[in-house]
Amino acid sequence: MLDATTRFFEDLDRRGYEPLLAKTSGTLRFDLHQGAQTTHWLLQIDRGNLQIAQEDREADTVVGADPRLFDALVSGGDNAIAALLRGDVTVVGDLRLLLQFERVFPGPADSRGPRRVFAREMR
Amino acid sequence: MGDTNTIRILDGNTFVVSEDTGDIEATPSEPTGLFSIDTRFLSRWVLTINGERLNSLSYDDLQYYEARFFLVPGMATHYVDAKLSVIRERAVGGSFRETLTILNHDEKAVDLEIRMEAASDFADLFQVKDEILNKKGEIYTEPEADRLRLGYRRGNFRRETVISSSEPARYDHGGFAYTIHLEPNEQWQSIIDVQTFAIGPGGRDLRMGLRAHGTERLALQQDLEEWIARAPKVNSEHGRVAATYQRSLVDLAALRFSPLSLGGQTLPAAGLPWFMTMFGRDSILTCLQVLPFAPELSKTTLRILGALQGTRFDDFRDEDPGRILHEMRYGETSSFEEQPHSPYYGSVDATPLFVVLLDEYERWSGDVALVKELERECRAALKWIDEYADLVGNGYIWYERRNTDTGLENQCWKDSWDSISYRDGTLPPFPRATCEVQGYAYDAKVRAARMAREFWDDPAYADQLEREAAELKERFNRDWWVADGGYYALALDPKGRQVDTLSSNIGHLLWSGIVDQARAEQVAQHLVGPRLFSGWGVRTLAEGEVRYNPIGYHNGTIWPFDNSFIAWGLRRYGFAEEAATIANGILDAATYFDGRLPEAFGGYQRELTKFPVEYPTACTPQAWSTGTPLLLIRTMLGLEPHEGHLAVDPRLPVGMGRIEVLDIPGRWGRVDAFARGRLDLHNLAG
Repeated sequence: MLDATTRFFEDLDRRGYEPLLAKTSGTLRFDLHQGAQTTHWLLQIDRGNLQIAQEDREADTVVGADPRLFDALVSGGDNAIAALLRGDVTVVGDLRLLLQFERVFPGPADSRGPRRVFAREMR
Repeated sequence: MGDTNTIRILDGNTFVVSEDTGDIEATPSEPTGLFSIDTRFLSRWVLTINGERLNSLSYDDLQYYEARFFLVPGMATHYVDAKLSVIRERAVGGSFRETLTILNHDEKAVDLEIRMEAASDFADLFQVKDEILNKKGEIYTEPEADRLRLGYRRGNFRRETVISSSEPARYDHGGFAYTIHLEPNEQWQSIIDVQTFAIGPGGRDLRMGLRAHGTERLALQQDLEEWIARAPKVNSEHGRVAATYQRSLVDLAALRFSPLSLGGQTLPAAGLPWFMTMFGRDSILTCLQVLPFAPELSKTTLRILGALQGTRFDDFRDEDPGRILHEMRYGETSSFEEQPHSPYYGSVDATPLFVVLLDEYERWSGDVALVKELERECRAALKWIDEYADLVGNGYIWYERRNTDTGLENQCWKDSWDSISYRDGTLPPFPRATCEVQGYAYDAKVRAARMAREFWDDPAYADQLEREAAELKERFNRDWWVADGGYYALALDPKGRQVDTLSSNIGHLLWSGIVDQARAEQVAQHLVGPRLFSGWGVRTLAEGEVRYNPIGYHNGTIWPFDNSFIAWGLRRYGFAEEAATIANGILDAATYFDGRLPEAFGGYQRELTKFPVEYPTACTPQAWSTGTPLLLIRTMLGLEPHEGHLAVDPRLPVGMGRIEVLDIPGRWGRVDAFARGRLDLHNLAG
């Protein structure tokens, strides 16, 4: 079974375009460290167009995290900005790229969104 | 926290609050300290000479980022023959730097043991008023040969204070000390540097590369001078308005704040020192107030709020797609999700006001590129209004927090727990809808229609928005009009029942244009009538309401910012004298505060107290109080962009004499406006 991170990036790669990044350009590399092993995900963002590779190439922004934490970030189990402030996510380079990309992560799975009074009545 | 004998200096969100000796001894009731990124980095900073504390002769806060303290050893009773003078000069600009100078006036040489006690509790800004008993992490102190390191560690969360000195000092666990010998008339000086670090596992600081301006004193001085030189000049016959304007301009400079993600550009933070962070509502309303004087703040505010617009449902943060944030914080409680401010989205007015500001900014600046750049964000904001904010399904913006532990109950500007009440004083159930927010939504749709037609090349969307706005106006005037009072209800409850108190909120409705022309006169008369108008300004809640209290935070005090938008609204509907009455009252009040309007002051009748009674609040200056005189000047002079040029239609009260505003920037280049007081307000103000 694929991990959440792989599913997330594969899904993004399939879409090829992310409107939330329409004003964003740059390269963003995620280094997921587990012991001596590091998994790399390299994103090239060109005004919302995305190219994804598992490569260790130079990037404008390099983000470091534990793979389990990253799984949680891409599936709504944790929040990237809080994790960054906590020191659990590290950033070298242009922080803005990560803050823009972070918006693509989903919200918590148990978040229900607005509680509509009329919807409650209709149910 | 508003103690008069505490001294504050700051740069961005680094600030120092101390006693008038320069000492820091933080307690829950005296939350002094050195703060940065919402964390206290020094909670103890006490200077002694030969074991004796010092006494303050005087202090100067020279600029917002520097202060100077003149001290002598010993108790107040005998300091007249002190043989030593001590000067502490301090500045913040990235780090905190204190220059300590000691002068020996004695005819004999002296040997001195100079000691600074230094410690930090690394309290989160949210905790400074509490007894901090159970910090979850570990505090450490590491004296080294040339520095003292104070630190706090909780998992990977690390904050450090590093203290060093230009003169060799002995560092220990409780601070550092010097042993010196001073000949007669000799002086000694040491520069003490205190740096704050937010360190990630790689040893890098979170805040690298995001300084708003240079960290050196000279750079700050130059930045302030340039800021003042760029802004229009205001001259007034009696000097009063000009002085208030000058004070506001300098305070506005101090309130500029550079968030993590803006690469050094600045936007107005909400208030000094405790609210030196991004607030959606406060930043936007301040930008609107100061647009004719400092338009660049609008551009950066719109960009940063757009960049952080909500994208998903997150109940802890009350986030929805398209929603504009309420508040961002960088401290420990945000980091560990004990507070939701990473960022928190629980406000219902920031989202429509975002659209309003973008349109108003374009009307002044002609910056079409920004309107195009933010088209997607505007559409998302408008979608939020219709899709996610309408909790009752009747076409209004409602609020009910999903984060029931740490979220905000009232998500409008009157955000205290008891601000929304029926005439009988009881509080309505949730969800609630307050009136002014419906006005903002109407205005957002009308303005977005203009942008869609002129800049987004989408006339169909423009038509749709105009239709929706017209329907909203009709619906609103049907559902919210309190017929037996002749005004609009403060709010609706989920059953559609009117929360029928008379409040200042109705003034914002005039500003937004949602008021039926035929009813505007009645609304205007309430605003300058005896129940709402005190002689200084419009009360948040009318006299005679059950919860009215002249010093009730949102239930009777007068908020200068509120009044500035009310005056603008009155002017919009042609009530120039009423607008001038309010402007005159608030500017009169400003003179009692040396030109620096507080967040709020008492709703007492003007004849009763003769001076405005300040409401004790945490922050001063407050951004939207600082912006108030600027919007009042705009309102009285009738400054309005009109077909590519600046229209001027002054309506000043007689007592104000002549006022000129020079070099008003905009799509017209720079132009001047002149006005002379001609309105006799005597009949109205009575």
